[in-house]
Amino acid sequence: MTGKYILEVEGASQQYFDQSEKSFQVLNNINLQIREGEFVTIVGPTGCGKSTLLRMILGSERPSAGNVLMDQKPILKPDRNRGVVFQKYSLFDNLTVRQNVRIGLELENFSIFGNLLNTVFPGWKYEEYSTLVDEYLERVGLLQHGDKYPYQLSGGMRQRVAIAQAMIMKPKVLLMDEPFGALDAGTKDQMHAFMLEQWQQTGQTILFVTHDLEEAVYLGTRVIVLSQYYQGANGAKIVKDFNTPWPHPRDQSVKEEELFQDMIKTIRNQGLNSNYLLNQEEFDLSHADAIQLAS
Amino acid sequence: MLSVTKRSSWTDTLLSIFLFVLIIILYQYFAHQRHLLNPHDKLVPTFAQMLDAFTRSTFEPDRNGVYRLLDDTLASGQRVLISMVFVFGGVLMGAYMGLFPVMDKLFYKFFLFFDKIPALAILPILFIFFGLGEVSKVALIVIGVVPTIILDTYLRAKAFPQEQVIKAITMSASKSQIIFKIILPKIFPMALDSIRLNFKAIVLFLISGEALAATAGLGYRIFVVRRYMAMDIIISYVIWIGLLSYLIDAGICLWIKKQYRWYNK
Amino acid sequence: MNNFKRISQFFILLLLTGFIAACSSPSGQESNASSSTSGKSKKFKVAWSIYSGWQPWDYANQSKILEKWAKKYGIEIELIKMDYIPSVEAYVAGQVDACVMTNMEALDMPAASGVTSTALILGDYSNGNDALLTRDNLQVKDLVGKEVNLVELSVSHYILSRALEKNGLKESDVTIVNTSDSDIAPAFISNNSQKAVITWNPLIMEIKKQPDVKQVFASSSIPGEIMDLMIVKTNVLKDNPELGNALTGAWYEVMAIMKKEDKATEEALAIMAESAGCSLQEYKDQLKTTAMFYSPKSALNYTTSKAVIQSMDYVRKFCFSHGLLGENATSFDQIGIQYPNGEIQGDKNNIQLYFDSSFMEKAANAQL
Ligand SMILES: Nc1ncnc2c1ncn2[C@@H]1O[C@H](COP(=O)(O)OP(=O)(O)OP(=O)(O)O)[C@@H](O)[C@H]1O
Ligand SMILES: [Mg+2]
Repeated sequence: MTGKYILEVEGASQQYFDQSEKSFQVLNNINLQIREGEFVTIVGPTGCGKSTLLRMILGSERPSAGNVLMDQKPILKPDRNRGVVFQKYSLFDNLTVRQNVRIGLELENFSIFGNLLNTVFPGWKYEEYSTLVDEYLERVGLLQHGDKYPYQLSGGMRQRVAIAQAMIMKPKVLLMDEPFGALDAGTKDQMHAFMLEQWQQTGQTILFVTHDLEEAVYLGTRVIVLSQYYQGANGAKIVKDFNTPWPHPRDQSVKEEELFQDMIKTIRNQGLNSNYLLNQEEFDLSHADAIQLAS
Repeated sequence: MLSVTKRSSWTDTLLSIFLFVLIIILYQYFAHQRHLLNPHDKLVPTFAQMLDAFTRSTFEPDRNGVYRLLDDTLASGQRVLISMVFVFGGVLMGAYMGLFPVMDKLFYKFFLFFDKIPALAILPILFIFFGLGEVSKVALIVIGVVPTIILDTYLRAKAFPQEQVIKAITMSASKSQIIFKIILPKIFPMALDSIRLNFKAIVLFLISGEALAATAGLGYRIFVVRRYMAMDIIISYVIWIGLLSYLIDAGICLWIKKQYRWYNK
Repeated sequence: MNNFKRISQFFILLLLTGFIAACSSPSGQESNASSSTSGKSKKFKVAWSIYSGWQPWDYANQSKILEKWAKKYGIEIELIKMDYIPSVEAYVAGQVDACVMTNMEALDMPAASGVTSTALILGDYSNGNDALLTRDNLQVKDLVGKEVNLVELSVSHYILSRALEKNGLKESDVTIVNTSDSDIAPAFISNNSQKAVITWNPLIMEIKKQPDVKQVFASSSIPGEIMDLMIVKTNVLKDNPELGNALTGAWYEVMAIMKKEDKATEEALAIMAESAGCSLQEYKDQLKTTAMFYSPKSALNYTTSKAVIQSMDYVRKFCFSHGLLGENATSFDQIGIQYPNGEIQGDKNNIQLYFDSSFMEKAANAQL
């Protein structure tokens, strides 16, 4: 295939130091290529380095070895092209919900003059953003809560604001770290629909870390399983990498299909099962873009 | 013995002013006793004398035709206001130091050291460098308080969640936007709080500076009238300073509560 | 409500206790401040501060001359060293029985606060120890519109007032910058923009070392107006003339040593210089601008002369016009001052300051 890879991770490893200053490997030689418009979900045991991988792609952290590229250029710092929704601390708690969603637009179109004018005539320039801001608030179901501060919101509501905040900027790549971890099933379904709709409209590339396997299979066009349990383990590797076959837009009903259920079972029994992995000579990397290294 | 039944509010008020009233009564009694022994006593003025001194300095021009209390309050107020410019500059400095490693390395140790210097002890040096005019009095306040404010803001900027800074960068924020639109708005009420808590030090340095060389000011007056033991004026000035400080404190508190509803939540 | 009653009862009890404590303390304090009886002999406290004309008191104490005289009259005297203004404050507050001070502070601090006081010994008058120094060859007349650094309402202020008066100027012609005596010398020396300063010795000697500084007016231009006195509470002295006898006796014994100009004099002056924190030579220089009354006779003559009455008249008018007799004072006559010949200046019914020459007279007649 000669399609263009928007993101490439080339042999990236990451080392950290523990309290006694001893280094330990978190990620070991990760290779990953992602095409523009893919919706990649990442699952794996807790502590395997999913957030670390995301941070390396974001650019807030550099790999200790290897490279991370976006559009063939190395990623050195976070920038406008990659938006992020963190597990927590995503919102500015001195801003209201509406201001939180609007802040990106303000930052991007900043001019000292405009800022001054706004101090004198509050809402003068922000007027032009308000339709867009309201539209996003509506989509995440928080229009009535626009004037509340984050401390007045529930955990799930906060996460939805964070998503609207990131999405309104329409970054080319959106990195999401367990954004729906705190939501109830009903709201989660709503958010899934919203996410998928948004993704299809914008053609964004999304990397989505989750612990919910059903969510991973339902949302992702591609599922990646990361694990630190395998023979001779020294840091996490990609142990599974495969396509989901259902075309988008997907209906909720695919969740009932046997294939869907099987996929979840396979991930659980193989990708997340350390006994299984420890006895495995090779990993099941069936995705066309997966890089199979000779072991 | 103490039950948790809800008392009516007037009894609460009564209890909270009880100690004030007690002290006032005891003081007045003590002063009265002294005045029985020596009707000209100046050291422990009665409240009537203090009130008289306060009215005189407030509503009647003195020998030189100035309304003293107003004059002194304005002179001191001006000094405090000018030093406030530097205090807020200190807030900015702290934020910059917290965000930029170069500034951090350059200034942190320096201010940490300066903060430990007892400003009053180097007063003579200040007078030699800045003369006896307004500059040295403002400089005393600035040297005494600003390093504390800088360090306080610095620590708060350092403790600022990194995630939010990164988040702002992914939304195309520049360095100065991070300071002015992200960090400062959030730490500003904290800075106000620490300015509020340091206000006592500001007043202390103000009075010390005025005691050393001045032509007007609240501290100046207190030290001058000490020459003829006018304790009635001194105490009324002390109460006035206390009242002003209290009002400023309460004002800042109210401002924070109204303007920064999210703060302390 | 019942609980509240109980609490209020408790507080009222507390209030009463406080009252009783307050009742007993002022009278109690009064009695034990003036004289505490330890064993047989009465004990008195005398405060002094560093000044060329008062150093002899410290010498009297260190050389045990004071102790000898106290023993002779069957009393104990404790000499306490303090800063000048706090020492006068302590005297007014009743913490000490006697204190050294100038005639100006005697009038505007104790006398004006109703602490009736007696000038027991007139030790000296300032004859150049207080001075107006200027830069750029400025004369007193040139000070119009200029700043003058001095300790406001002190003798320095009085010197300024007299200097201006003698040159046909008013105080409002200059700007007085109240400057603490602890910093006035270094601040003036290091800031060339400061053109005029008034202060006292040893600071004057220090400032005069600067090449461009000149003395344009001094207490020697108004000799005798600023007198340095030993002030005792009138009622204490009346009840305990032994205290007056002992202090006067000790003082003139020291004066005699200082006058002799022999080895003993040198030794005594060296001790005085050391406790003043200066060299012997510096102390001798300061004594040159201090008109000491070495003999009781000379002190007696001066105290009973008209000059004192004239000086006090200048001083009380200055004090009144600067509010030092109390902000409510209506006239400089408000406070009465009585002189040795019985003459009274000011209000006869409110005599607060006595010039008493009887102890100096006893010393002059060798009756101590
Ligand atoms: N800055 C750091 N310094 C030291 N160790 C770190 C650091 N960040 C992460 N780690 C460690 O690296 C490992 C991977 O962390 P990471 O947060 O990437 O895991 P994760 O897969 O996101 O886990 P979870 O599913 O629980 O969120 C963990 O053992 C963690 O303790
Ligand atoms: Mg994580």
